[in-house]
Amino acid sequence: MTVFQLIFREIIKRKLNFTLSLLAVVITVSIFVSFFTTGQASKNETIRLMRDIGFNLRIIPKKTDMAEFWKTGFSDYTMPESHVYKLASFKGLSYAHLTAVLQRRVIWKDMDVILAGISPEVPSAGREKTPMFFSIKPGNVYIGFEVARRTGLKKGEETDILGSLFSIEKVLPESGSEDDIRIYAHLHDVQAILGEENRINEIKALHCLCIMKGSITDSITMLREQLLGVLPDAKVLLIRAIAIAREKQRYMAEKYFAFIIPFLVVVCMAWIGILALINVRERRREIGIMRAVGYGSGRIAALFLGKAVLIGLIAAAVGYGIGTWLALEFGPDIFRVTANMIIPEIKIFYWCLIAAPLFCALSVFIPAMIAVTQDPAVALREK
Amino acid sequence: MIRLEKVSKIYRTRRGDVRALDKVSLDIKEGEFLAVRGPSGSGKTTLLFSIGGMLCPTEGNVIVSNRNLYAISKSQRAKFRAVNIGFIFQMFQLVPYLNTVENVLLAARVGTKCFGPEDAKSLLNRLKLSDRMYHRPSELSAGERQRTAMARAMLKRPGIILADEPTGNLDPENVEKILRHLVEYNQNGGTVILVSHRKEVDNYASHVIHLKDGHIQEYE
Repeated sequence: MTVFQLIFREIIKRKLNFTLSLLAVVITVSIFVSFFTTGQASKNETIRLMRDIGFNLRIIPKKTDMAEFWKTGFSDYTMPESHVYKLASFKGLSYAHLTAVLQRRVIWKDMDVILAGISPEVPSAGREKTPMFFSIKPGNVYIGFEVARRTGLKKGEETDILGSLFSIEKVLPESGSEDDIRIYAHLHDVQAILGEENRINEIKALHCLCIMKGSITDSITMLREQLLGVLPDAKVLLIRAIAIAREKQRYMAEKYFAFIIPFLVVVCMAWIGILALINVRERRREIGIMRAVGYGSGRIAALFLGKAVLIGLIAAAVGYGIGTWLALEFGPDIFRVTANMIIPEIKIFYWCLIAAPLFCALSVFIPAMIAVTQDPAVALREK
Repeated sequence: MIRLEKVSKIYRTRRGDVRALDKVSLDIKEGEFLAVRGPSGSGKTTLLFSIGGMLCPTEGNVIVSNRNLYAISKSQRAKFRAVNIGFIFQMFQLVPYLNTVENVLLAARVGTKCFGPEDAKSLLNRLKLSDRMYHRPSELSAGERQRTAMARAMLKRPGIILADEPTGNLDPENVEKILRHLVEYNQNGGTVILVSHRKEVDNYASHVIHLKDGHIQEYE
């Protein structure tokens, strides 16, 4: 009888032990595969959700009076629009999603409103990203909730703003902030209305956590150093609450993944190990017989390790199938924004084919050694 | 030739030491049929397992075919056992999930020479098990199980057969069958050491030793 024949016959005889061991590994592999298949989508979804909290960096002219800035919400001073392109062209900076802004308070239709000109997002060098903030076509405006309520203007209507005609593309929902009295237009339109061509008074940006590690205090120091080298006439403000929330959420998600997979692997290994121990106990006499007919330690160990490897291989194939199906079936409902990133990962299958048998063999290593070292004479003398 | 030189075996238990063999010295010639008799706990099985390389004595030497069995490594001893020794047990000790032929073939690939299913079937025919070749142990009678175990022990034609109470669980008709097969094996040149508490085995053996409290009391 070959070792494989013996393994096969024993599996048929002790189906429950085999099925339970297989189940443990299939569950672990399935969870592992579904986690990793949805992993990129999950990571990007977290990034997107955190990003949507808003910009956390404000770059303003250096000579801005901060008391005035916090009172009005923007700087009275301006800087060249070219600053945003200059900043974007530097590689390795911790700034992303750069948007140039020019804001001014104006009286319009007997109402004190904030006119905000925003440029389309300027991609940072070497890091093309999906825009996080809306961009407005020239000639169009988005109006805040309170502006629309007070003026009675609706989407699709046209309105005159300081001598220029604009089409209302969108009425923004109530935000509960000063955004409700804002009118958003394309940067160049606002610059033209205000007679401040090629000038901006702020660059909004997102602090890129993918580059930075360390505390928020470390971050702001580094951001200021970076900015000083590129735009010496500007200064940067970090909105700590948003930055901390983003950072915490990102690290929490990363830590969760780092914990759950090893935890599952350890539980699975313990499960298989216990089942293998029970199997060794059940097979004491068999091992004794094999010893009596001349089986060496290697052959006895091979019976247990071979079975474990077989379980690992089957579980890798079945678990990959189930895990991928779970990810494709339920992933898009969970990660709605990044659903299209959930695709079968064949690379994971190859990893499973290597890792699952290896982990199974490691799990039964101790029981196999117990089987090898047990005294056959004791087992064979049992009546 | 099997030689035991002052072989002692002490089992250490929580209730104290149990001396199963006490300085036993014995020579067994090639082609001998030796019956080892004695009451329960006299050390018969311990003696048999020591000769079979399965139980290391506490002191003394066991020399089989000019090899000091416990001076060689465990793996060398396993190889030696695979080639030279066949075991038969009172409880048959068949692998429950293998059929008769597979049980006989359990040791077929171990050792220097390989034996195939045809060898196993031919042996089973001789032992009158031709219509039970593909039955599982649970589907066999006690006598059939013991003959299967006997076929497993004999397949590789080892020089020595060690039988531990092989007739203990059998009816008189099967006892005779088993003993006759062992005699036949012995007549073909094999050495047989048979442990039993049955007096009738004396009639089949060329020599008989009586063990009591780990000592050889008589040698006939």
